Amino acid sequence: MISAFHDPFMRSALVASLAVGIVCAYLGVHVVLRRVVFVGATLAQVSAAGIGLALLLGLNPWPVSIALMLVGVAIFSLRSADRRVTRESLIGVGYVVASALAVLFVAKSAQGEAHLLDMLSGNILTVTSRQIIAMAVVAVVVGALHLGFGKQFLFTGLDPDMARTAGFKAGLWDLFFFLTLGVTIVFAIQIAGALLVFAFLVAPAVTALLITEKLSRAYIAAIIAAVVATVAGLHLSFLPALDLPSGPAIVVVLFTILALVAAWTRVR
Amino acid sequence: MIVRLTDVELAYGRDWSLSGIDLEIPRGDFLAIVGPNGSGKTTILRAILGIHSPKRGEIWWDKGRRFGYVPQRQYIDEIYPLTAFDVALMGRYSLIGPLSRPSRKDRDVTLESLDHVGVRELADRAYRNLSGGQKQRVLIARALAGEPDVLVLDEPTNDMDISSEASTMRLISHLHEAHKMTVIMVSHLLNVVADYARTIVLLSEGKLITGPAEQVLSTDSLRSVYSEPVDVLHVSGRRVIVAGGNND
Repeated sequence: MISAFHDPFMRSALVASLAVGIVCAYLGVHVVLRRVVFVGATLAQVSAAGIGLALLLGLNPWPVSIALMLVGVAIFSLRSADRRVTRESLIGVGYVVASALAVLFVAKSAQGEAHLLDMLSGNILTVTSRQIIAMAVVAVVVGALHLGFGKQFLFTGLDPDMARTAGFKAGLWDLFFFLTLGVTIVFAIQIAGALLVFAFLVAPAVTALLITEKLSRAYIAAIIAAVVATVAGLHLSFLPALDLPSGPAIVVVLFTILALVAAWTRVR
Repeated sequence: MIVRLTDVELAYGRDWSLSGIDLEIPRGDFLAIVGPNGSGKTTILRAILGIHSPKRGEIWWDKGRRFGYVPQRQYIDEIYPLTAFDVALMGRYSLIGPLSRPSRKDRDVTLESLDHVGVRELADRAYRNLSGGQKQRVLIARALAGEPDVLVLDEPTNDMDISSEASTMRLISHLHEAHKMTVIMVSHLLNVVADYARTIVLLSEGKLITGPAEQVLSTDSLRSVYSEPVDVLHVSGRRVIVAGGNND
């Protein structure tokens, strides 16, 4: 397996995928527990729409993508007082609108539709040193923020009313949580694509929550699942007999692990 | 005085509002807000807690009060892989600095709170695997872990069997009497609070009747509120409210 990572581009792909996988697997536990799984997919599409808009206007994709993501985060972190409009509905509407805008922006940009496939499935083998450093910085900053404010994110996610009674600004902590998620997605999607980022947000967390009754162990199990899937997926994609696109290969391994764990927990 | 509501109007959504709410809750009281489902009990409770803003009127709080809130059990999402101890420890979070982790003292106080409500042996059990009565006790322990002077409970005996219901009410009554704790609780069942509450706030069809339990829970008073004939009986030293009998 080590031989697959002799080439510098494969080592870069491995480091980048691990940085994306570890931080997304950790955040995914929060996302799954808060029952906002679809927000990951939607913020990924919002970010993709930002990249599409930047391509169309000939601008740097990161600032545009971040600006659109901030709008998405502000909307999705709202807890609607109107019982007819749930957060889930807002996220669903956001997803289809952002997906449509991403396609429209890219279709009208000079670079054309080749970028659309990269945004969706990613091309982790072409990752640059600059992207890796940026992703590593995001992973460290998000990790440090969650280490420092983990109890606030947990408390306001589980029981916002009790948290507000205890003096926590639940709405602001929600916004802060979604901000860390959104920033991670903006940087991750440009390395790994929307498909792999969404898979890292969902599959490791679901796998972990199937096998543990302790939250601290769930974070660790999710990260282990992401690391194993990243290494195995990249290795499989490199095998001459298979020669698979790397992102989808990692996704298949992620869901194979999930399926095996689900089967094991049923027969246990 | 813990809290005072003056000419408060509360609204929920576009279609529901309750106006003319005047209420004073003195320190040391055991106040029960009672009424049918949908009458606005929980909305009043949330206004008392300061997490539901009134449309009109004024709410005053004693600056020194510390609420220990016990929400309805079903509001705690059981997807979270937390032990009973993890859930109870959250009661300490407001006393722990923003970047700090729970200290030895926080853990000790949490264990004492679980002990106090009789579920210390369940500390390491998964919260979601506990019975309804055990979960309720863990949530009360969580409120106590914050060292409150006011215990605020929303339907604490909802969906419980009669044994768990009686045991939970005895625990709340013990906390009120032995620890001089102010208790504010909501229930849709008059009989649950009839023998424990000192003050009753009775909600019915937009009307709000407040007074000492003996006064509000009298046959005459209840018959004036409900369209059904209601009788207040005394059985084995307990006050029992029976609806649907004769009007004579």
